[in-house]
Amino acid sequence: MSDATASGTTAKIRVRDLKKSFGSNEVLKGLDVDVAEGEVVCVIGPSGSGKSTFLRCLNKLEDITAGTVTVDGYDLTDPKVDLNAVRQHIGMVFQHFNLFPHMTALQNIMLAPVELKKLDKAAARAKGMELLKRVGLAEKADARPASLSGGQKQRVAIARALAMNPGIMLFDEATSALDPEMVGEVLQVIRDLAAEGMTMVVVTHEMGFAREVADRVIFMDAGVICEEGAPEAIFSHAEQPRLQDFLAKVL
Amino acid sequence: MVTKILNLYRLATKRGRAALGAVLTVLALFLGIAAASAAVMPAPAPASAPLASAVAPAVAHASAADVKGKTFSVATDTTFAPFEFRNGSGDLVGIDMDLLRAIAANQGFKVDIKSLGFDAALQALQSNQVQGVIAGMSITDKRKLIFDFSDPYFDSGIQMAVAKSNNDVKTYSDLKGKSVAVKRGSEGETFANSIKAKYGFTVKALADSATMYDDVKAGNSVAVFDDYPVLAYGVSQNNGLKIVTPKERGSSYGFAVNKGQNADLLTAFDKGLANLKASGEYQKILDKYLAAPETAKQTSFFQLLANSFPALMKGLGMTLLATALSLVIALVLGIVFGFFKVGESRILRIIASIYVEIFRGTPLLVQAFFFYFGLPQLTGQPLNVLSAGVITLSLNAGAYMTEIVRGGIQSVDPGQLEASRSLGLGYVTSMRRVVVPQAIKIMTPSFINQFVITLKDTSLLAVIGFAELTYQGQQIYAANFRTGETLLIVAAIYFIVIFILTQLSNVLDRKFNK
Repeated sequence: MSDATASGTTAKIRVRDLKKSFGSNEVLKGLDVDVAEGEVVCVIGPSGSGKSTFLRCLNKLEDITAGTVTVDGYDLTDPKVDLNAVRQHIGMVFQHFNLFPHMTALQNIMLAPVELKKLDKAAARAKGMELLKRVGLAEKADARPASLSGGQKQRVAIARALAMNPGIMLFDEATSALDPEMVGEVLQVIRDLAAEGMTMVVVTHEMGFAREVADRVIFMDAGVICEEGAPEAIFSHAEQPRLQDFLAKVL
Repeated sequence: MVTKILNLYRLATKRGRAALGAVLTVLALFLGIAAASAAVMPAPAPASAPLASAVAPAVAHASAADVKGKTFSVATDTTFAPFEFRNGSGDLVGIDMDLLRAIAANQGFKVDIKSLGFDAALQALQSNQVQGVIAGMSITDKRKLIFDFSDPYFDSGIQMAVAKSNNDVKTYSDLKGKSVAVKRGSEGETFANSIKAKYGFTVKALADSATMYDDVKAGNSVAVFDDYPVLAYGVSQNNGLKIVTPKERGSSYGFAVNKGQNADLLTAFDKGLANLKASGEYQKILDKYLAAPETAKQTSFFQLLANSFPALMKGLGMTLLATALSLVIALVLGIVFGFFKVGESRILRIIASIYVEIFRGTPLLVQAFFFYFGLPQLTGQPLNVLSAGVITLSLNAGAYMTEIVRGGIQSVDPGQLEASRSLGLGYVTSMRRVVVPQAIKIMTPSFINQFVITLKDTSLLAVIGFAELTYQGQQIYAANFRTGETLLIVAAIYFIVIFILTQLSNVLDRKFNK
């Protein structure tokens, strides 16, 4: 496991013995994960298994109780590391979109590049329009989030997460809050990103999607990684009874 | 401004020790504004004055030159016609006022008269906020223990009055089982208490003459005991009462200073009084108010409105000034302490909580008394009434603003801050661009509400003699005894102003918080 870099590529994300507690409740009980450059890792598991908490530790939206998380060579648990700088390299997409309701779709996307002085206003606007085009929403540039459908909101949120040209994308149940008919359009955008070689960690309940897009699937239960491997191995040759149970319920 | 405060906040959280610095900054800020506001009011007499005179030997032959050109603050009652009251144009007049001014002119010193109310005037003297008190105050042995009195300038006496329509109560014996209104701390109270056991009535102490007369007219008490000139003047102004007993021999009124202090002022007063008596001016002043007080014609409501309007508008101006200053400071306090409350630093959270608990957990009235009377006694620094009022209201409203800010920020979905932070934006930028704009929208109705509450709370400052709208109203009915109508006008002014301002706020809210 510690030798996941044996393939020759450097690990983009390296997690060692990650533990996370909320008060006396230990949610993550020592995780070791490596994600290689360009790899798409899907994390599946029952509710409360710690999938989302794990994902939120990868950009330190959650404080890390013990262990280390290294992203692009930066140790997030090192207090000297500038978290804001590291986070610019990690895009995150939330279950509930979390678009800024007082800004238009385009302003949502432009906020980070302009505030962080990465682009001037004109360049940020051009970049924002390009991203909106990419997710098929150029005509919604001036719309407020409240007037968008769920699927459209999530596509804008993905465009926003891409605005700083991140090397890594994190998806936290990006389709769970959507009506069924809108799931497809969002998955398509994620699928496109995967095809372009984006490094991604995707927490999802869409088993078919995981099977199709993932390079590797991690099954978590009760704060530990129970089983991981190629999608084929996980979905067709599950070894652990817990994984078999889970798959029997969701498939 | 928000950015600045956020930066301040971050600085403070980054380094624990800076917490103190942040608090001090806030304090300095509001002291600065208080100092600036002090310039609006007539400056209090230099603090050194009482000190200087305290060390001066209190000898009888101190010449008037000692006081020449100096200005002395003298406190008086608000509502003791004909000794002190406000005429139609809002100026303080009456026997005490005319006498004091004539003596000052005679002796070449200046007076800055502060109309505080009887109790408050005595407190102000004891806390060295003023150098003297002239308020139709009887010279008693008890008071001589803490004050030095001038030569008596008026011999008073107590009379009893009942409602005009009351034909049953004519003597003290008719009071059995009834209630009698007196003025707190007055000669009338002392007299009433001395005979209440004998005649079997109860004594109800009220704050001023107008309230006493209203208490009788409303039927809560059957009679009042008051100084005869006061009663006579009230009856001449249609206060609805009639005098039924002859004058009891009473005590004499004197001008008071703190014991052992301001001997030169006292000497000057005595000399001036003697001069006025000799020249006949003294008698002229008494006659003006007592000899033949012309009976006032009962004017119409609209005449009352027209007569009282200038004074009430002056009061409204002070009300709005105090409200505006207090709200600006309260907003700053609310933002600073509100961010302390939602921040990560435990120390700052505790500081903010203590602040809120203290000012939310004590009555505004007590706070006003504390800042006007208590604080100067502790620090030795006199505080003018506007500063004390604004400090009180700011700190009080600031506590509520803190809770509004905290509530507003906490009611923004935490996912908003997370989304912003996940983009690599710092805490301050995230708050400024993402959380605060949404919080402001949520907070606006509460801010408007607090603004209305603070505006109305300024009326409580009347008790420390701040000449705002309610105070001006009290002054007017103290002189004309038309309590109901005057209060109706005052209430209508509050209502109209608040109605206009809330409508305006709502329009702005709709326009900017779409």
